[in-house]
Amino acid sequence: MLVKDVMNSPVLTVEASVTLEEAYHIMLQRNIRHIPVMREGRLVGMITDRDIRLATSPFAPGGAKSTAIPVEEVMTQPVFTAEPLDPVEEAARVMRERKIGALPILEGERLVGIVTGIDLLEALLRLTGVEKPSGRLEVCLEDRPGELARLSSELAQQNINIHSLLTYPYGEGTVNTVVRVGTLDTRKVARSLRQKGFKVQWPPEIPSKSL
Amino acid sequence: MSALVVYSPQYRLYNFGPRHPFSPVRLEMLVDLLQHLGHPLHFVEPTQATREEVRSVHLESFVRRVEAAGRGEYFPDFVHYGIGTADTPIFPGMDEAARWLVGGTLTAARMVVGGPAKEVLQLGGGLHHAQKDLASGFCVYNDLSVAIRYLTDQGLRVAYIDIDVHHGDGVQWIHYDEPNVLTFSIHESGRYLYPGTGHTHEIGKALGTGRKLNIPLEPFTEDESYLEVLQMGLEPALRWFRPDVLLVQCGADAHFQDPLAEILLTTQAYAKIFPLLRQYAAAFAGGRAVYTLGGGYSLDATSRIWALLYLTLQDLPLPDHLPEAWLRRWGTQLGHFLTHTLFDPEGAYPEIPRKAEIERRNRQVTERMLESVRPYWN
Repeated sequence: MLVKDVMNSPVLTVEASVTLEEAYHIMLQRNIRHIPVMREGRLVGMITDRDIRLATSPFAPGGAKSTAIPVEEVMTQPVFTAEPLDPVEEAARVMRERKIGALPILEGERLVGIVTGIDLLEALLRLTGVEKPSGRLEVCLEDRPGELARLSSELAQQNINIHSLLTYPYGEGTVNTVVRVGTLDTRKVARSLRQKGFKVQWPPEIPSKSL
Repeated sequence: MSALVVYSPQYRLYNFGPRHPFSPVRLEMLVDLLQHLGHPLHFVEPTQATREEVRSVHLESFVRRVEAAGRGEYFPDFVHYGIGTADTPIFPGMDEAARWLVGGTLTAARMVVGGPAKEVLQLGGGLHHAQKDLASGFCVYNDLSVAIRYLTDQGLRVAYIDIDVHHGDGVQWIHYDEPNVLTFSIHESGRYLYPGTGHTHEIGKALGTGRKLNIPLEPFTEDESYLEVLQMGLEPALRWFRPDVLLVQCGADAHFQDPLAEILLTTQAYAKIFPLLRQYAAAFAGGRAVYTLGGGYSLDATSRIWALLYLTLQDLPLPDHLPEAWLRRWGTQLGHFLTHTLFDPEGAYPEIPRKAEIERRNRQVTERMLESVRPYWN
């Protein structure tokens, strides 16, 4: 999944000369927290609702600033940016490491979008979510070449489509694999996988079940 | 007045083959059990649904493909419509067979509107997974949605209640933005079970917001907890919505014997659920209700649960023991033991160590569902 798949576009921007008060009102009206700051069509900084609230607070070191000053006096610069073709996980890493809430997206010099923490949550939901009616299989695989291929070929043989697949490290030398499959009867699949020696975590085996 | 019953042997044409769980044997065993119970059977013969009626819900492109598949023709994009998959394999005449089930539910809906009966039991249908352009989860055409469309076209408000163990996703999505359709589905959580949806945050959109309700249950939920949250979630919704008619999908796969899911109801629970739904129909919908069948893949459990449904709606007494001749015939045919009593024996499944935790979580999820829809109830 790429940044361009989750970014917001077009982006609302302000000029560097806009006052804190004006910028704050825009944020309130549009229900947003981050605005890229532009000068002569080029990105020069980022202004957030937090920047404005901290600068104008009576607790601010050196006293509260006037709400009539231009945003360029309190904006963050230089700005961390990303590109539309960057993978989302790279954007997420930058945001987490720099502890920032949004990344403007540049194509060359041109501002083409913005990605916020909420967009990354959306990406997480899309990656882990249920896009199509599907059943859930959870299989614990040995962490070695060919195991996933063995699992997927088993499913293919049963004419079962895989809608999504997630793996994550689990215990020593094993990975858990959560497969969303296009069948209601996951138990039948689980049974045949167990017969082939797979360690199926879900659906569970229930000894008392009888037809 | 007791319920009228719609049934046709044509329903058994809906057959994905001998190894498929959605088996017409379920109907055969049920009708045979009803016969053996000795009460005279009067079935109303349904009219097969027309293509136009199916099209009131399903897209032309989808219907054309189902028809072609049933004639043995092939489209390379069948799989995008869920046709020819492991769950809904192609069989000859699948369009006609599916239209019989739709016709039955539609016939039942017409009877409730037209007056010959307030309560109608459709001994078939309940294909709640089918979407407007997708066959899914053993369901080709969505008989429930076709009936709902008919009822709302008559200006009626419909409360759809789905007790199948799987989320009633097809019905929910088809009517997701409709203000005159309340959908209520209680099912094993999509976190664990097909189709993966049916979370409390799915509450409808546009004018339908607050009118799509879901109670996703913990796996291994038992009778008491199920009944507790069913009443807790459904009663206030019906009291507020004031439907003109209930449409109830009575899938029997929340039973502990069901091989496809993890909810642990006994037939004792169903003996409480069905009268409860009847009471709700009387209290909130002028007594008008259509009941259909649905999922249910333990032949032992489905026969008993749906017989219970039939007997309840007919105001007939519930027998303790099932007829010997029926038990012998089907026990031999299936080659395994059948429960001899309508009610399940005590201690039929192992004790569940997480019971208290499961009850707490079910209660909490139901509260959360009500909190998220109530702001839209005005």
